[in-house]
Amino acid sequence: MTPIDTTSAVIPHSWRTIDGHAPTLPAYCRELYQYREVAYVLIRRDLIVRFRQTYFGLAWLLFKPLMLMLAMSFAFGFLAGFEKNHAAPYPLIIFCGVIPWYFFSNAVPDSMNSLLGHIHIIQKTYFPRAILPIAAVAVDAIEFGVAWLLFALGCLWFGYLPGWQIALFPLFFAQLIALCVVIGLLLSVVNVQFRDIGNLIPFLLTIGFFVTPAGYTLTRIPQHWQTLYALNPLVGIIEGMRWSLLNGMDGFPLIAVASSLTITVVMGIIAVRHFLATDADLVDLA
Amino acid sequence: MNDIVIDIEQVSKRYALSHQHRPDSLKSWLRSMANRLARNDDQPKDEEFWALNDISLQIRQGECLALIGKNGSGKSTLLKILSRIIPPTRGQIRVRGRIASLLEVGTGFHPELTGRENVFLNGAMLGCPERLIRQRFDAIADFSGVERFLDTPVKHYSSGMYVRLAYAVAAHVNADILVIDEVLAVGDAEFQKKCMEHLQTHLRTGITVIMVSHNLHAIRTIASNIAWIQGGQLFESGTVGSDILQRFEQT
Repeated sequence: MTPIDTTSAVIPHSWRTIDGHAPTLPAYCRELYQYREVAYVLIRRDLIVRFRQTYFGLAWLLFKPLMLMLAMSFAFGFLAGFEKNHAAPYPLIIFCGVIPWYFFSNAVPDSMNSLLGHIHIIQKTYFPRAILPIAAVAVDAIEFGVAWLLFALGCLWFGYLPGWQIALFPLFFAQLIALCVVIGLLLSVVNVQFRDIGNLIPFLLTIGFFVTPAGYTLTRIPQHWQTLYALNPLVGIIEGMRWSLLNGMDGFPLIAVASSLTITVVMGIIAVRHFLATDADLVDLA
Repeated sequence: MNDIVIDIEQVSKRYALSHQHRPDSLKSWLRSMANRLARNDDQPKDEEFWALNDISLQIRQGECLALIGKNGSGKSTLLKILSRIIPPTRGQIRVRGRIASLLEVGTGFHPELTGRENVFLNGAMLGCPERLIRQRFDAIADFSGVERFLDTPVKHYSSGMYVRLAYAVAAHVNADILVIDEVLAVGDAEFQKKCMEHLQTHLRTGITVIMVSHNLHAIRTIASNIAWIQGGQLFESGTVGSDILQRFEQT
């Protein structure tokens, strides 16, 4: 009955060193790639759990963004009267703001809590821990990606055709995901040490909704405030998405895009350095 | 010698025993930083505790090394460093080959997932491709003896079931080195026997095993070498045939 592996152990020649030093970025990335199946299993599990025992199942993927788009169009377009003077149908403008925001406001807390939520696994087995915040963002990103199907349906409904600018859309999409990963890497580690931010971040996100052009557009912000406003990295991403999908709507938001890219890169460097320096010590810190 | 697969070089692990409570909120952290800036030295100094102190050991391929020692002597700390769960404060370990670790009960299982899902998750964490796990799934289920509960979340498992499944996965991932921490003690006598037989067959194929156990009978049956750890230091080491075990028993 005892199963015997047919392959008898052939000892590899390469030595691996375990010491207290922080890994280099290339070495860590190689390891992430080696352990990629852990991410696949975690992502699949989260997706299954999310839709298991739901009556509508996958229909939720389109139903949620539809409701968001309708509710926001009503609140900002009809009630607040922002609907006038736009070249594109207002629900489509809203969609390009609310859906990225919805993704961001889910992905950030999800990845922030990913290390703490799996601490019992981290304490008992090794794999590169960055997998957890990355997988958490990936799950939300899949939902986010599918939501754009609704945008395509909306374009058909309104008889609206995006222009050549749509070719640049994947760049903004990728930047938003990168931003979420970066923030997730940073916050998930901090959250292990200081549980305060578990309370702080949801609160900041509530405020963040109002200083992000989700329900309105950048043009609503007075000209002399726009530079300050663009310090919110989501401004460049969301306005960039609108520009790419809505025929270059209000012109290319150069300042916002440049500021957003800079902030993403700087935060990226800080987050990666901090994560590499802390990764090995996580269990001792918790 | 070129059949060494694990080379532990002067490994030490230090913990700070803080008498004040550790800063676990931003507020207390800020306060301690402020105190430090103000050169306010009335804080009690953290006391150091060396869980491991300058341990050096070499393990050859095909060896089954049993770590013995009292509770709190540092055996489990060494296994955790070897499994990369915690880093050493000083020194280094060089390893050839893939390590599969079984530390404590419920090793790396996710309580909300079913047994089946955990087999895949655990297999991936041990570096085993999913396709290989799929191939061996029946063998794993069969070995664990928990087939009936594979679709139950493991939080409902008994600790014995936990260990049986965890061991079954680790046994089937083709690791070169198995690190086992006392977990087998949780299973019943029958399962322990099954594991021992399994380990013995594996040892013959060239796998290397490092285990912590308080079960001297088990050690006599499968271990080839003994390392006695006391107070974080390597007290004595030798083959299972030497009189180390007898003297350990007398203490």
